[in-house]
Amino acid sequence: MELPLLARAQSGMDKTYRLTDEGGLAATESLAAAAASDRDLLVSLCGVGASVTLPTPPGPGEQYRFHFDMTRCIGCKCCVVACNEQNANPAEILWRRVGEIEGGVYPDTTRHHLSMGCNHCLEPSCMTGCPVNAYTKDPITGIVLHSADACIGCQYCTWNCSYGVPQYNPARGVVGKCDMCHSRLTQDQLPACVAACPEGAIQIETVRIDAWRRDYHAADSPGMPSADDSLSTTRITQAKRMAANTGRVDLGRLRPEHPHTPLICMTVLTQLAVGAFAAIWMLALVGSARHRAAAPLALMVTGIALAASTLHLGRPIHAWRALRMWRRSWLSREVLLFTLFVLVATLYSFALWLSLSAAFLLGAVTVLLGIAGVGTSARLYRVPGRPAWNSPFTYAHFFLTTALMGAISALLLDASSALARRIAISICLLIVAVELARLLWLMRSSVHELRGAATLLRTVLKTPFAGRLTLLLCTGVLLAHADAMPLLLLASALALAAEFAGRWLFFVSVVPTNIAAQYLAPEAA
Amino acid sequence: MNLRRWLARKSGLDTRVEEYAFAADPVLGHTATARLAERWVNTTCGYCSVGCGMQIGVREGRAVSVRGNPEHPVNRGRLCPKGLAEHHAISAEGRAREPLLRRDGRLVRVPWTEAIETMVTRFQQVQERYGADSLGVISTGQLVTEEFYALGKLVQLGFGTANYDGNTTLCMSTAVAGYKRSFGSDGPPGAYDDFAAADFILLIGANIADNHPILCARLEPNEARTLVVADPRVTKTAMMADLYLPVKPRSDLALLNAMLRIVLDEQLYNAEYVARHTRGLDELRASLAAFSLEDAAEITGLSQSLIRQVALLYARAKRPMVAWTMGVNHSTKGTETVNAINNLALLFGHVGQPGASPFSITGQCNAMGTREAGFASSLPGYRKFESEADREELAKLWNLPLERIPSARGLAYPDIIEAAVAGRIRALWILGTNPLVSFPNVDVLRQALDRLDFLVVQDGFHPTPTTELADLVLPAAIWGEKEGTYTNSERRVSKVNAAVAPPGEARSDFDIFLAVAERLGCREAIFPSWKSPADAFEEWRRISAGRLCDYSGISYEALERVHGIQWPLAANSIESPEATRRLYGNGRFATDDGRARLIATAWTPFPEQPSPEYPLVLNTGRTVEHWHTRTKTGAISILQRMAPRAWLEMNPLDAQRLELRPHDPVEVISARGRVSRVELRITEIVAPGQVFLPFHFAESNANQITQSAFDPISREPNFKQCAVRVERSPMSARERARKRR
Repeated sequence: MELPLLARAQSGMDKTYRLTDEGGLAATESLAAAAASDRDLLVSLCGVGASVTLPTPPGPGEQYRFHFDMTRCIGCKCCVVACNEQNANPAEILWRRVGEIEGGVYPDTTRHHLSMGCNHCLEPSCMTGCPVNAYTKDPITGIVLHSADACIGCQYCTWNCSYGVPQYNPARGVVGKCDMCHSRLTQDQLPACVAACPEGAIQIETVRIDAWRRDYHAADSPGMPSADDSLSTTRITQAKRMAANTGRVDLGRLRPEHPHTPLICMTVLTQLAVGAFAAIWMLALVGSARHRAAAPLALMVTGIALAASTLHLGRPIHAWRALRMWRRSWLSREVLLFTLFVLVATLYSFALWLSLSAAFLLGAVTVLLGIAGVGTSARLYRVPGRPAWNSPFTYAHFFLTTALMGAISALLLDASSALARRIAISICLLIVAVELARLLWLMRSSVHELRGAATLLRTVLKTPFAGRLTLLLCTGVLLAHADAMPLLLLASALALAAEFAGRWLFFVSVVPTNIAAQYLAPEAA
Repeated sequence: MNLRRWLARKSGLDTRVEEYAFAADPVLGHTATARLAERWVNTTCGYCSVGCGMQIGVREGRAVSVRGNPEHPVNRGRLCPKGLAEHHAISAEGRAREPLLRRDGRLVRVPWTEAIETMVTRFQQVQERYGADSLGVISTGQLVTEEFYALGKLVQLGFGTANYDGNTTLCMSTAVAGYKRSFGSDGPPGAYDDFAAADFILLIGANIADNHPILCARLEPNEARTLVVADPRVTKTAMMADLYLPVKPRSDLALLNAMLRIVLDEQLYNAEYVARHTRGLDELRASLAAFSLEDAAEITGLSQSLIRQVALLYARAKRPMVAWTMGVNHSTKGTETVNAINNLALLFGHVGQPGASPFSITGQCNAMGTREAGFASSLPGYRKFESEADREELAKLWNLPLERIPSARGLAYPDIIEAAVAGRIRALWILGTNPLVSFPNVDVLRQALDRLDFLVVQDGFHPTPTTELADLVLPAAIWGEKEGTYTNSERRVSKVNAAVAPPGEARSDFDIFLAVAERLGCREAIFPSWKSPADAFEEWRRISAGRLCDYSGISYEALERVHGIQWPLAANSIESPEATRRLYGNGRFATDDGRARLIATAWTPFPEQPSPEYPLVLNTGRTVEHWHTRTKTGAISILQRMAPRAWLEMNPLDAQRLELRPHDPVEVISARGRVSRVELRITEIVAPGQVFLPFHFAESNANQITQSAFDPISREPNFKQCAVRVERSPMSARERARKRR
């Protein structure tokens, strides 16, 4: 039996105790004497909240950060309860969570806990993604603050953060997160979690920003997503000896994510509209046909899409605010481009109706804005916190939907177009090929979140996944053999259903990165 | 919700700003306004025996927050997660609000007068027909000492039955029996200061990180200590250890006896202390003659050299402490194991010395109170049933005839249940405990309760699995709603105060006892002029005066002032109330001759060994988020969220053999029953051949499968080991439907 602690003691490496050759305690007296002062210090440190001293406020080039000492944490979760009491959050929302990591082989088992709130990153991805500037990084403390007042509840930050820190509160319609008890700190009070920890495992420190930017490896730990994503400032003291395979205990727990139905509608329908306008414009270009009745229809689809998107917001009445951060946020850019798209598409539709000569140019601008819009749609899902989205496949997925919808629109407008028919059939097959390639890529990945997505697609999501591919193949077959308009309409409906299913799968099959969780999932609400 | 409000919510105009606002509280600092208190009430935590001082914040008659009392000597402001959420227990759903009497199979609301009248009449009818002892009473460790004292008097002197015991027999009776045998009396000799002062600490069968987290905070600052943890499971506490001993299940006694053997063989003990203060060395030596180190290594699974090293670590330490809890107590060999721990301490005189004691960490917040003031394992003040002098003294103090004082202990808890099955106990009064979840081999208990003529359950919560079976439910006030004192593991008495009124018609247990005594016609005789717990406390101070657990120097006023006082403190003592006190430091013990007893013990295998049919050893235990049968903590959403259901820990080797995967629902089956659909956790926390199941969860009740095996001395159940097999659960209807799809 290997007993590393005993080995450490026998070798005399351990500072807390040593074994003499006879196995007795050595130098206990001097150790006890030395510890006396430490002990007093520790008693005052991890004792009553009020007696723990805060570090001096950060100076220029510095900020506050959490220090978490894994070797002190006993997994009691006082911090979690204290945080929820402090912030009056319901039990479903935990701004501080305790996860478990495990490794080794009995009895040399490694078992530790991670208690994490917000990491108050140097490059907070919650903030850079926010379309309404609800986040600020406090210039003095470096704390990443969130304003519930500014927030519109779009939840983009909940995807952007690799640690799952911002959490949406459906009862309020806004997101919330750990602010290191900013207001307590400014009044010389300890954050609730720090004050509540009976072991002194959580502390507040001051960190020099430039030095940390150069070397932030202490933010990484088994059970934590890579600090590269946003430069987490939390310093983690790891146990000195941990089994090499130490990692999250909750990896076997895979559950489909929230489908975000309004976003399924929004993305698929905007892509349909962009495809349709492209078809209208190109048919005019190629065949000089004016499909002036089709344009208002496509416009209506765009309107439904944009209206649907506001239903995703916790505070739809403030949807317009999402335009605000177009310089920084891909979500703002998406909203901006589709707003412009709808404006220009309206003009284009009028121009078509009135047979104005500006129609050609307006159509071109509409199509370009639409393609740019679809591009930003895809781009905004490329977040490190959702690895299965963070790949070129997302572009392929969104543009292939656009292309398929465009080709089918063209076919519906001009049933005799053999080119449109061939393109539509090819895209159906291409989508099937791309989806299979993506599945293969996911399956063969070494990244847990990617393999997890593959597992979901092959187990609980097997039926919808196979169903979607079947729908696409049926569409292809139907398109290859059918000429009658009812059959073409049926093929269109099948294709649209396939793309709705595809988008639903896109949302539910993603496995977000997160900090280690506890083994048991919370009870289903 | 009106339409306007609904629209405001849905549109995002209303984000419930008021509910999530913050403000400055003079005590808590900047905090959610939901926690703002008008006043703070000092009290002591009502969960475990650590005995943390706390304050309840009250606003508009409701408990809105808690915080650790920074001045309390036990915890200095710290609390565990249960304590930090304790105010939610008061306002939890499922509180018992009015007396309920079973009529035509249904529990219906009745007035208090009718409830008490019915209870006393039915009890008296049973007693008249089947004898006084056909009434049994099973109490708890959750009431205040004043209530235990009152209840003891009411049961033994009022109802006149001796068959009175508490759920403390499921918990601490082993430590009680062990202390009595070794030192002549119950009463843990040490103090929490020992955790900081010891240079060697052996935690044996004690997972304090989950069960007594605030003790970790007392231990952790002690950097000079060597912490050794003996546990079959790699608990959170094991991870704190400098040296972890992965002992085989229930091999603790073999480990201790091997250590004793080494100490004796190598003459490492304090011969002078042993000669002056103990008896029984020769018998102890003789009992170990046939027990070799090879045997111990085989039994414990530890190497001989490791066992020897642990023995030497203890022998050479200046201030060694051995602390234990349920791993030792929940065993048919529990009392002997406690005696072996005491033997080790006695061989060196490490009893009641700073940093050095055999220390039993208690379970419930006031299990100690039942031991001191109750009539269950001894007469009040640790007086002995069998001592005529003790009985005479009590009769005089109470101004009662000597023959009214019981001269022998009645049945212990498991024996009351067996007597009920046999039809000898016909009526039962259960207070503040939920045996349908906590009693081993629960089917036997169900049979017992089924056979009763009348079952009264007095509890703060309804429905619980136990109140649902009651003929009469008496709604009781809980922690935060009543006054009295708790005694913690280190014999520290702390004040408990009412912050808010009980819900509905619920009344404090104390008031219920007075009302029952009134109806029985013995109120003035046994509770002379008592109106409040303070009156009981004053009498208890007189009764305990001069005893080992001397309260006579402790007053409510002093407790409010210094927040916690260790007994003994005599009325005329010149000691400061705050001083740390230990027992037997002078080598004088509570035996007739003042000498402690070294007690010969012998290891035997645990009663139900694994077999081909049941090849795994089941270990049961707790998790930090929950308290016992979850009547309180299961109703607190944050605790429930963190530990929502039971799980079964199994080593990967066994899981592989059984072709089980993480999160599989499994059946845990013993010869007595099964627990269905427990979520499997495949983990290196447990050894191959062992599985672990927490017992808190009524819906996955571990006590469906535990066995009826009890320590012959303490009568404590062997909760910790029994033989089981594990199978994947058959698919539920829903899963089958999904699979078909």
